[in-house]
This record gives sequence, structure tokens and C-alpha cells, in this order.
Amino acid sequence: MEVSRLAISASTRAKLISAGYTSLSSLSTLSPFNLATDIKIPEKEADEILKLASHNGKLDNTKGTQAVSGGQTAWDMLKEDEGLRCITTSCSALDNILGGGINCKEVTEIGGVPGIGKTQLGIQLAINVQIPHEHGGLAAKAIYIDTEGSFMVERALQIAEACLSDYNDLPRRGCNANQLKRQPKDLLENIYYFRVCSYTEQIALINYLGKFIKEHKEVKIVIVDSITFHFRQDFENMALRTRLLSELALKLMKLANEFKLAVVLLNQVTTKYTEGAVHLTLALGDSWSHACTNRIILHWNGNERYAYIDKSPTLQSASAPYSVTGKGIRDSVSDHKRVKLM
Amino acid sequence: MAPLKSLEVENPIIDFNFQQFCASHHIFSVEDFLFHDIYKLQISTKHHSNSERLEQGITVILSIIEAQHQPWVNGMELLEEAQGNKHSISTGYERIDMLLQGGLFRGNLVEVVGPSSSGKTQICLKAAANVAVNNLGSVIFFDTGNSFSPKRIEKLLDQIPDSAKIKTEEARQQVMNKIVCQSVFDIFVLIDLLHQLKSNLKPMTGCSVQMLIVDSVSSLVTPILGSGAHGHALMVSVGFLLKELAYEHNLSVLVTNHMVGAEGGHLKPALGESWKNIPHMRLHLSRDRKSNICSMSILRHPYIAAGKAQDIDAVYEKVFRNTNLQQQPPAMQNMSCSQENDSKLKMTDEFFEKLYKNNVQQHQSMQNISYSQDPSERCV
Repeated sequence: MEVSRLAISASTRAKLISAGYTSLSSLSTLSPFNLATDIKIPEKEADEILKLASHNGKLDNTKGTQAVSGGQTAWDMLKEDEGLRCITTSCSALDNILGGGINCKEVTEIGGVPGIGKTQLGIQLAINVQIPHEHGGLAAKAIYIDTEGSFMVERALQIAEACLSDYNDLPRRGCNANQLKRQPKDLLENIYYFRVCSYTEQIALINYLGKFIKEHKEVKIVIVDSITFHFRQDFENMALRTRLLSELALKLMKLANEFKLAVVLLNQVTTKYTEGAVHLTLALGDSWSHACTNRIILHWNGNERYAYIDKSPTLQSASAPYSVTGKGIRDSVSDHKRVKLM
Repeated sequence: MAPLKSLEVENPIIDFNFQQFCASHHIFSVEDFLFHDIYKLQISTKHHSNSERLEQGITVILSIIEAQHQPWVNGMELLEEAQGNKHSISTGYERIDMLLQGGLFRGNLVEVVGPSSSGKTQICLKAAANVAVNNLGSVIFFDTGNSFSPKRIEKLLDQIPDSAKIKTEEARQQVMNKIVCQSVFDIFVLIDLLHQLKSNLKPMTGCSVQMLIVDSVSSLVTPILGSGAHGHALMVSVGFLLKELAYEHNLSVLVTNHMVGAEGGHLKPALGESWKNIPHMRLHLSRDRKSNICSMSILRHPYIAAGKAQDIDAVYEKVFRNTNLQQQPPAMQNMSCSQENDSKLKMTDEFFEKLYKNNVQQHQSMQNISYSQDPSERCV
């Protein structure tokens, strides 16, 4: 039945079907008033249904050569992507394996054991997205969604100070002496922080994000720390969880694509039993593992922290050391250059 | 199905009077008409004043319905057609083409299923690049996970053996313009786009769309599945639309599907039983984490024997052992991977060669399989 393909509520759909309107063509000749009286719904609703139906069956012949409207050729996309800048992680080895940093228009999942530096990396990215253009940054703002309450504003201030002193020491391209020196305070002002206390709030917030970003176009990164927390507890119905999470992922993808921003989801780890051995994997299960475009796993190797690219359509699997210092994420001290590829 | 009203223009006999008569029997569309007992309908016309005219109307509708059916085709004609225009499109991987005896078939819906980072998107991108570069026609790519990467396509183009002809910027532009990507984040949008495609492809039979890729269909379906029968209906309707497009326009349709956890920690393809029989061909991908080798096996194919799931598992094991034989110890292997960006996929080729020659030397392989590796290198 064709009407079931329309994005309308179940009750309206049932009304349509029971009144005999099963096909789109049966709706095509109706006026909103007729439909409204026929199935006893407000005229406004009827108008919406008819709009949907006519849009659905409409032939888009405006562009003769294009088979689908709104599609983009790979060439155009390539040219467009060349203009996009990456968000640096402040660790050159990590930037190196990521092809310059965290990519805009992509959803990147970063996971690891507690204490490995997930939140540190999140805060670092929220600061780094604000690096001005003349230093190769995006000069943008950040949204930080905190579900665990682990965002430490004092720590963010430290990282902001370190970041500012780093690029203020560098010689500027197109030097502008009149420009006021930015203060760490300014950097903190550019982080929009949301505290989320339950999974319903989390879903509501992500639904609202589109509207928020439309009003704040300069936002170029959304960090969710962590996507997992509320979904790991008090969830009896696992099928429902999968459904909610995959919907959430699609919405974030849409945001990333529409506003050309980077989405970074932090995730926890869990143990998994396969083939007689227990090992650690990222939480939320197998169906979630498909949800993100990129997946980076942070882990310990001896006394060193390593980041490993587990999944990416463009990058090859590789791992790189990094360290968490007082200034934030930095290159690993012990061996500076070694990048190990897998 | 058309409402009766719309037939009025061409068939004056289906007038307002007749429509009202039908409406009194809860018949509004031709579809309703088919559900109804026509014998009873004919009897009830007797109670009306102009029964003859009503009966005439019924016969007219019946004849319209009869005219709808497709002409018969016999087996011989089908075979000729299959040999004539249902030839296959290469995936760009020699070994996969060998396994599939030619590649992806036109007019077929092919599903690639595998766990996360097993190479599903790579196969899609490679197939798209291959169609574009060989001037076969254009490719439509529906992307649900922002995983379509033009950069990767460009890299793949460089690897094609006779890449000399796409060295120049213009030639490259021409090739890449053949791949059209559209982001889809909603199943209703997908259905809408497929309808558009259906109606837009029709007038242009010369239009050269050769391949339609949906990567991945399951991420659109998962959010609606399980919330009632409606989700199921949408999923099946997407499946039928894809098959219809494939059949009518002789497209090769490639979709990807995820693997989800099933009982006992095993993985199974997502979307369940009712999706299972929709694709013509089902290919399973997996990647061995230790050796970084991807492998493919056939779960369902129109005529190549697939064997049972257990058998496939067995084949996997054999071949993994076998390929391990070929490889250096793990540490060395990592090195060799790092030199070549695409070695992960090249090894796939090696894998298929082995599968084909089937010269598995069990004893030797058994000795070689038991190596240990530092787990921290791999994963957390």
C-alpha cells in the first residue's frame, strides 16, 4: 500500500486506509477540505498529508540529466572537501595518521579504558576548533554535551591557556598588530556546554541541535562525552536501545553532513567473550559498531598511550602514541617520530 | 492501484452513478474491486434501476484489469535475454569476479554483509570507481553513513592498471562526474528517491545509469524495525523497489548490510528473516584481525552453490590457515601492510586464489596457525 510509505503518524495512516485511500494517486485529485471532512481530521493536517503525497509522486524533470535531485558528483564533492580544514588534536603523530586531524562532515567515535584521556581529548578538540585561520585553524565554536559530568572547567581553562600561549608565540601570517590578544576566557565563552542527565534528555537535545546550530552557524564541532553513559544502565529492552541509538546516529550524521561540522562521540569499553577469550571492545554492541564513520580506540601499550584507527573508509589502520600533559594532549615524549602502521 | 474516479475520463461507462454504486459496496479503487466478490456484485446490480449499465461497467473494469498483465515469456526467450543483456559488471577485484563467475549481475540485487570494518564500503567504492573508469555508465551512490569518500575514489582510480588514460585533470573530472552521491538519513527519503529514480529513468532508456549502491540499507531500517508491522512493511517495500529498479532498467544494485550479535556470541546478518530472501545474491565479508586479511564467501547465489553456513565457516578456517602459511610472521606482516595502502584488499585477491585452487595443506597449516601475538598491538 503506497500510503504506508508516507511519513505520517500511524493513526492518520489507519484513517486513510480505512477510508479507501490506499494509493497516492487516490489522493492526488483531492482538496484538503474534502480529505479533512472525509476522514475527520483538521484541515491543516489534511493539507500536510496532501503535500507529502504530491511531493512523493512528483516527477522532478527540472534537471533533465540528473537521475536524482540533490545528488552531487564525486568530483564536485572532492573539490568541496579540499576546502575543508581538519581540527588538529595537538599531537602531531595522531594528526599524521588521521590525515591532518579530525575531519569535518564525519562522525568519529573515540573510545578507551577509563583514564586513558577521552575527556582530555574532547576538551582539547573543543579548544582547538577555535584556533584562528592564520594558524591553520577553523576559528569556530564548539558544542560540548556532557552526559557523565566529567567536563572540568578548570582543566578546560588550563588547556585554553596552553593553546593560546602556543600560537601567540608563533609568528603570524598577515600580521595584524592592532588585533587584541585573545584571552583564555574568550575561548571558554565559545564552548556551548550542555549537561544531560538521562537518555530522554540526550535524545531531546540531539533533536534540538539542528535548530541550535542553525542559529549558531559558527559551531564546527559537536562533542558528546559520552554517548554511552545513559544507555548502559536501566535499559531492559535491548531492541529498543538499538533502535534509539541507530536513530541517534543517523541524526548526528545528518547534522555533520548538513552543517559540515565534525561530530566526536566518546565511548566506553566493555568486555566481550569470543572464541574462548575475553577481550575489551567498545561498548554498545555490534550494531552500534556500524554507526560511526570512523572509529579510534585509545589504549595503553606499556606505559604509553596509543591511539589506533579501527575503522575508516579513507584511512588505513594505524596507531600512534600520544601523551596527556598539563597543557593537554601532546606528542608522546619518549619517542617523538615513531608512527607504527598496521 | 488507481481510484475508480480516474478511470472515468477514458471510460465514460464508469460514471458517477457507477462510482456511487461501488462506493455503497466500499469499493473506491481498482484494488478494492479485486478484493470483492464479483459474482455477488453482479447479483446486487439487479436491485438497481439501470442494472444493465452497471453490469457493463463491471465488465469494462474487468477487461482493464486483464489488460494489465505482462506478456508471457518462455524459458528459451529468458535464457536468450539473460545471455544477451544480463552480463555482469566487474567489481574491480579480479578474485571476487572469479568467485562470482564474472562479477555483479545486471538486473540483480546484490547484498554485501559483514561486521564493522570488514571492507563493505571499500567494495562499494571500488565497484563504483570501476564502472566509472571503464566508461560503462554512471553510478548512483546513496550514502547513509557519511562514508562516501571522493578522496578514496581518487586513490582507487590511481590503482587501476591502465590509469594512464585518466592522468589528466579533465579526464579525471569526467570519470568522477559519473559517480553521483546522495546522502540519505531517513527511510522515507530513500523511498522518495527510489521513486524519483523510477520515474526519471523511464523516459531516458539511453540514460546510462548502470549501478545503484546503497551503503548501508540496514542503518536506515534499524531505527524503524521492531516498532510494529509498519517498519517491516517499509523495509520490504524498499527491497521490492530496489529489485524492480534492477529488473526494469537492467541496473546492478549493490546494498550493504550489517552484522549483529545473535545467540552464543555469534554474528548474523541484520534485518532478519523477511529481508533474507529479498537479495538475489548475498555475499559475506569478514576480516581476520590478526592478519588483516579480508575474505568473502557466498551465502546465496542464483546458481553457484553456497553450501550451508557451517560449511562456509569451515572454508574460512581452512583458508585463513592457508593464507597464514603464505604470510610472514605477524610482526613482519605489519611492516608489509604499511608499505602499501591497499594491501588489505590486495590480500583479498590472494585469498580467492587460494579458495579457487583449493590446495589446502592441512598439516602444514596446522603448525603455522598457532602463533601468539601481543594483543595490545591490536586492540585495547
